Amino acid sequence: MIAKTIASILTLVFLTVVPCMAGSTDPMETIRTPIDALMVILNDPQYKEPGTKAAQRDEIWKIVKPMFDFVEISKRTVARNWRDFSDAEKTAFTDVFAQFLANTYIDKIQGEYHNEKIVYLNQDFYSDAYAEVKTQVLRETAEIPVNYRMFKDGADLWKVYDIIVEGVSLVKNYRTQFASILKKDKPAALIQMLNEKLAQQNQRLAENG
Amino acid sequence: MKMKNQLPLLALLLCILGHGLTWAASPATLAAPTGDESAAEAVPFDPFDPFDPFDDSTNDPFAGDDDAVQSVADPIVGFNRAMFAFNDKLYFWVLKPVAIGYRTVFPTPVRLGVKNFFYNLLTPVRFVNCLLQGKDEAAKGEFIRFMVNTTYGVGGLFNPAKNYPGLTPPAEDFGQTLGLYHAGNGFYIVWPLFGPSTLRDTVGSVGDWALNPLTFIKLIQVDAGELTTTTTGAAVFGLRTVNDTSFHIGDYEALKNAALDPYEAFRNAYIQNRNSRIAQ
Repeated sequence: MIAKTIASILTLVFLTVVPCMAGSTDPMETIRTPIDALMVILNDPQYKEPGTKAAQRDEIWKIVKPMFDFVEISKRTVARNWRDFSDAEKTAFTDVFAQFLANTYIDKIQGEYHNEKIVYLNQDFYSDAYAEVKTQVLRETAEIPVNYRMFKDGADLWKVYDIIVEGVSLVKNYRTQFASILKKDKPAALIQMLNEKLAQQNQRLAENG
Repeated sequence: MKMKNQLPLLALLLCILGHGLTWAASPATLAAPTGDESAAEAVPFDPFDPFDPFDDSTNDPFAGDDDAVQSVADPIVGFNRAMFAFNDKLYFWVLKPVAIGYRTVFPTPVRLGVKNFFYNLLTPVRFVNCLLQGKDEAAKGEFIRFMVNTTYGVGGLFNPAKNYPGLTPPAEDFGQTLGLYHAGNGFYIVWPLFGPSTLRDTVGSVGDWALNPLTFIKLIQVDAGELTTTTTGAAVFGLRTVNDTSFHIGDYEALKNAALDPYEAFRNAYIQNRNSRIAQ
């Protein structure tokens, strides 16, 4: 039951996800702007027509992608094993993992969006370079806490490196899974597994329009 | 329930506990679960996570805290994986189709009423655990919420209390109370029907069961010579499960699809979620 709640939360987390505005220095604004834009796309009647799901997905991905630093996310999920990845493997892993996350969660938001509201609670600064933005997704039956952990990248932009939904860190959840795969297999095998998962996903998404 | 019905369950429980305890006492559990300690190179530091075992300890202001807090022992992984598979089939073959049908028949306000009713009914569990944890404000909130929703909310079917601050404290249970007093997880258990738990949270559920008003009803029925108590209990459990699920169809599938190893993903999510609720 808890797992189900968590899953719903994960979905909604992505509702909250947003891209960075160039030059913005406030972590909460960095999140809020793209999320508002995402809501507009979800409510846009032009995407209520059948056969427009893929176009909507692309549109959402364009808005959401700049919010995240996927290299950072990849490093954190792979953790110490990252040093065993060659440069080519690092790039390949980051690309496939980003695409995999995008497919999974954008599809989920598309399917489940029911006019949820997002409440932006506050932002905690750990230092000049680290901040946590706390939000809540208001659902029909529940309030789901969703926190974004962010850091300031080389270009002085705030980027999300982890999302915590109901206390469950996305990065840590993948970290345990990747760690047990990398204990037995080489990085190439993990990348291969992700590619296969992605191919299955793409096929399923194509079938559902 | 007659004793002979309980014997197989008891035997199973003892078997699991025995196995787990033997494992817990073995030296293997003392070894750190993570690999090479020497080269933490290139692993980013997460200032918000004092317990991250991958943190570079030179940067970590919380170095020395318990590394293993996010992980859980899983000595009965074979049994757990089998139960996970069983629950998965149960979801797709029974629970999901039933919940979809139920959702089609009953409109949202009705389902919400059922959900509110059970939540209100279980106030004693949360109230007592608030007190045990010394959370007086939360206990007060639970109490007032119960009074408001039972009267103005027509026996708990509605939730007028939600509009007032402080009347929706986080739900406490006995597993969290034990956790607050530093009881460790013990080890991970996946129960058929009930899903993920740990040794500690299973013990906690027994405590919560004792505070559940539905348990009192069952006991009264036993006194009255009712023979259908087990059926009644199962029916109530079934209704609650189906009703709750009707609000979350698609969530389980999404989390499962998002995982490379769903079993590990759910285990980790369960432990992370419980840890954060204990810390609240």
